[in-house]
Amino acid sequence: MLSELLQGIESGGFLIIRDSCRYSGRDLLKSFITAALNREEVIHILCFDVSEEELKDGLKPSDTQRLHIHNAYSDPLGWTGHPNFTVQQFSLEDLTNLVKQTSQPKPAVLVIDSLSWILRHKTPPAVCQTLQQLRKGGAVRAVIGLLHTDMHQRGTVGSVCHLATSLISVAPGVKGKEAVARVTKRSKSGKVMQDEEIFCIAEDFTVTILSKPSHAEHKTNSTEEEQTDPTANLTFNLRLSDSELEAKQKLTLPFVFSKEKKTALLHPGPGSGRILYEPDANDDYDQEDPDDDLDV
Amino acid sequence: MLHNIDVISSNMAAPVNSVGKTSADRLQVNCTSFQKKTRSKLISIPGTRPSVQNGQLLVSTGVTSLDYLLGGGLAVGTVLLIEEDRFDSYSRMILKYFLAEGVVCRHELFVATAQDNPDEILQELPAPILDDVAVPKPVEQPRLTGEPQDSLDAMKIAWRYQNLPKVQSALASSSRFGHYYDVSKTMEVEIRQAAKCHRFYLPDHITPSSAAHRVESYSALLKSLQEVIHREGFDLVTPMSKSRNILRVGLHSLGSALWGDDLCCHDKPRHSHALTTFLYGLRALLRSSLSVAVVTLPSHLIQDRALMGNITRLCDNAIALESFKGSERETNPLYKDYHGLLYVRQVPHLNCLARQLPDHKDLAFKLKRKQFTIETQIHPGTL
Repeated sequence: MLSELLQGIESGGFLIIRDSCRYSGRDLLKSFITAALNREEVIHILCFDVSEEELKDGLKPSDTQRLHIHNAYSDPLGWTGHPNFTVQQFSLEDLTNLVKQTSQPKPAVLVIDSLSWILRHKTPPAVCQTLQQLRKGGAVRAVIGLLHTDMHQRGTVGSVCHLATSLISVAPGVKGKEAVARVTKRSKSGKVMQDEEIFCIAEDFTVTILSKPSHAEHKTNSTEEEQTDPTANLTFNLRLSDSELEAKQKLTLPFVFSKEKKTALLHPGPGSGRILYEPDANDDYDQEDPDDDLDV
Repeated sequence: MLHNIDVISSNMAAPVNSVGKTSADRLQVNCTSFQKKTRSKLISIPGTRPSVQNGQLLVSTGVTSLDYLLGGGLAVGTVLLIEEDRFDSYSRMILKYFLAEGVVCRHELFVATAQDNPDEILQELPAPILDDVAVPKPVEQPRLTGEPQDSLDAMKIAWRYQNLPKVQSALASSSRFGHYYDVSKTMEVEIRQAAKCHRFYLPDHITPSSAAHRVESYSALLKSLQEVIHREGFDLVTPMSKSRNILRVGLHSLGSALWGDDLCCHDKPRHSHALTTFLYGLRALLRSSLSVAVVTLPSHLIQDRALMGNITRLCDNAIALESFKGSERETNPLYKDYHGLLYVRQVPHLNCLARQLPDHKDLAFKLKRKQFTIETQIHPGTL
């Protein structure tokens, strides 16, 4: 499922990559950016966590036409007189203006690195509302955000992830460069799909999906139980030999009817006088209640 | 905004209710499972019936198993709280069943959401099965290995019982006051538009940049609801010239961050009183009018259990859903037939001394195409 998400996010979608200090999700975020650039999409990045150079490092320089990085790393709170992008500008009107400034024909994909930074300076309900409005409005086609789960309370992380249509939680894998991704995808119809995959990211930010994690195999072994045979280990014989089976089937039972009579009785044809009984309210006569027929 | 204490203490509002009751009903204390038959012929509001236990006017929630758990149905003037499952799939489904039942019984609807437009929920309502008779399928008894596959010979001795339906362990009310819905189809547009629906979509009412947003969203909702109740005459102020109807109120995902509330975001929310005040006002409003409300709440995000207890007590009926999707229970063989667990947190006692809690505590639900069944789990070895 990770590869499907890399190939494209549906319009109005909101993807969150949840990472922790044990494994950084920024490489996966850059893979998403690379994949989107390869698909000829316009991308706007709000850069809070790391500097612009560090974010551009590794991305192909030929794609910078469609890639717009808004530097919020150098002055996010507007302490100098002329900030580039402040955290206060994270609202629907300002972001819509920002995206529309580049005057591209098709709506852009907004990448936020990272949501944690914004959540520390704006209240979570306000951030959730802005994200929901961005999704519903037409200026931005999809939103991808990076969230550091160990920086916030569980309720905050839960509330923001509740809005997401796709959620990827990354954790370090067993071997060196591998990582485990737990992907949850909610479709519009309400169906939820979950998957767990091991992946590794190459130098050019392409993702290779390796096998599924091995503990899934353990589960299938334990669910296969042995079917115990109740007819074994008895002092009397419960099994039937073949000749005994034949004899049993040949035995005529006392009230056995022929096949035609059975079908006639089970599926009565037209004109055979069916009684259709619909219980009426008056038929509900309770034998124990003597006053039932009194009109009290 | 809030009504008097006098209004809150009088639990029952509908005057039609007193017609069906006898004095014996009022004095009855619910300690036995005896259910007296009532023969009230004077039900003037479609889609309602008096309760056989305490004479309250009941409406169906749309799910017949849930009606049985709540004591026959949802009493008019009460609130049902549904604690959402993790991905809000089944709680949203129950809300849709509730609204669809309102459309079929020709009640009026009031839908309030903050996340999706109310029209989106209304377009997803399931289609009712209007012929309303469950068709029994021919069921075969389990065959011994080695016997031929002939369907008639499969039941050599008990063949007369072949076409009868299998006994179900699903809980269902015996009356036909609830309807069944087909989840795979949506309700037709003509049926849906025949019902009058009032909508409240939060972004239309609140400007996003207002600083006191948090408190405003709930009070705006309460004001809007009060205005609808008064305008349409559900509050019994106008004389009984026109026929009465019930207002079904569906509030989706109350308490989530999109309502401007930080209940779900912080471990110690700063304004925890906003939602509890709203629920108190909502219940007062409902008690004095012919309405019934279903509220869904993402309780898995609320970290403060005492606050969750407060919220549960402020609603009359409360159930919680836990879906197996994504948890380790999904692969547990005990639960393979079900989609999740259902907990009944609270059942009210209206006009009587004792509550009618369901006998079975281990309840599991399964969303089938034509029915949302709630069954008691039969653990192997306990029979």
